[in-house]
Amino acid sequence: MWMRQSTLCASIIVLAVMVQLTLLSRLGLPGATPDLVVVSVVALALAYGPVAGAVVGFVAGLVLGFTPPAGGLIGIQALIFLVIGFLTGGVIDPRDRTVPILVGMVGLSAGGAALAYALLLAAFGTDQVIWDEVPKLVLTSSLYGLILAPIVVPAVAWLVRKITPETAL
Amino acid sequence: MLNQRTRIILTFLVIIAMTFTIFDLRGGKGPFSSVRSVLSSALGGVQVATSVIVSPITGIGSWWGTWGDQRARIAELESQNATLQDTAIRSAEDRARADALDQLLRVAGVGRYRIVPAEVIAVEAAQDFTWTVTIDAGRNDGLLTDMTVLNGQGLIGRILSTTRTTATVVLIVDASSAVGARVAGTEEIGILSGTGRQDSLEFQSLDPLADIAPGQALVTFGSRSGRPYAPGIPIGEVVEVSGTAGQLTRIATIRPFADVSALSIVGVVIRPPREDPRDSVLPSPAATPSGPSDLASPSPAPVDDGASAAATATAKPQKEKAAKPVPSSSARAATNSGSN
Repeated sequence: MWMRQSTLCASIIVLAVMVQLTLLSRLGLPGATPDLVVVSVVALALAYGPVAGAVVGFVAGLVLGFTPPAGGLIGIQALIFLVIGFLTGGVIDPRDRTVPILVGMVGLSAGGAALAYALLLAAFGTDQVIWDEVPKLVLTSSLYGLILAPIVVPAVAWLVRKITPETAL
Repeated sequence: MLNQRTRIILTFLVIIAMTFTIFDLRGGKGPFSSVRSVLSSALGGVQVATSVIVSPITGIGSWWGTWGDQRARIAELESQNATLQDTAIRSAEDRARADALDQLLRVAGVGRYRIVPAEVIAVEAAQDFTWTVTIDAGRNDGLLTDMTVLNGQGLIGRILSTTRTTATVVLIVDASSAVGARVAGTEEIGILSGTGRQDSLEFQSLDPLADIAPGQALVTFGSRSGRPYAPGIPIGEVVEVSGTAGQLTRIATIRPFADVSALSIVGVVIRPPREDPRDSVLPSPAATPSGPSDLASPSPAPVDDGASAAATATAKPQKEKAAKPVPSSSARAATNSGSN
């Protein structure tokens, strides 16, 4: 069970990172790139709970940091995704979850991740952040998160129920 | 809230993440560089594979690209259009400005005032209850305090203070303003005070027996060496007289010729004429029923050529009380034309 769960999470994360970097970022959509990785992390956190969500977020952040075109500081995304996975996995009782809440959580996470990344980059003393762009990036990232959520969250939930039925919340 | 295991896991992960960040921040070949290169190359391999798989879909990117190009093209055309519209408006504006300058030059020429043209660049907020404006000429242009400011219609005010490049003008309608004035065609003189309202002044005749009637025009009486006010400048016309002849004070209400709420081009008299122009500067001959200055016979107001252009131009310059570029070379070139 532990093995299957890890494999499933790793596969989803790697797939999300790959699709994000090779496909979504090259579509040239206005504003931010749709953050499929954050959406996947949230989806897994919702399925497995806060601790698993934190671990998944951490791993996803590192994978994203190590995958070639990555130019930012390694570890920042791990930190952000860790927090997002932990919070989204635990903040709302599974019995109280409704579709608008789930979609809203994903949107907030995507926007929050973009904002937190800019803030942390600045906090670590780099001068890469273009603050004029930040509001647009945060907004579009949230928007893309909202669009991706109804596709990704049910798909991940279905996979989780299918492959690891005993852990599904 | 959190159990022991959760706390340990979270702390551990945060520490690792921070460690990665700090080593990455330090740059160079940290202990993680080999891990990094191995992971990167592995992930890079997966990436190449994914890239091949998704390559048909990334063709969509060119659609987006085309869309972006078209947007750029539209933006370009829109900006071009805006520039052309701006040019069209500007040429109408320039014509209106040239008209204002023409009128100013007529006044200066007939009255033989040597003037410096200037443009109003700032106006005091209406709620401050003071009527002052800033013009874009200053000490460098030969302006001194108390010099007379006029425009093509008539007297505007006097200079309150100067800087190198700007001057503050207190308008005649300001409540603190007082001008020595003479009723045109007569020798009746008096004090013209501002009321703080833009369309009315109060004229108090020194001679209580003076016969003042609505419709009569007022010109400046003039001060020694033309400061604060040069002589002969039209001010306004009498619209109402209160009190009767023989009363100790007779107050006439005067409507100024110049519309002080819509000032653009003004002139500053830097040297008054050698002789008092008397009533010759007044625009219409009807306002000067008698007097020696009838010989001067002022030229009629410039013909309004191109009514359509003027119609488009009128609205715009009147609103231009706020910051505006310095008048073009035509305005500057006129600096000395008013001299004799």
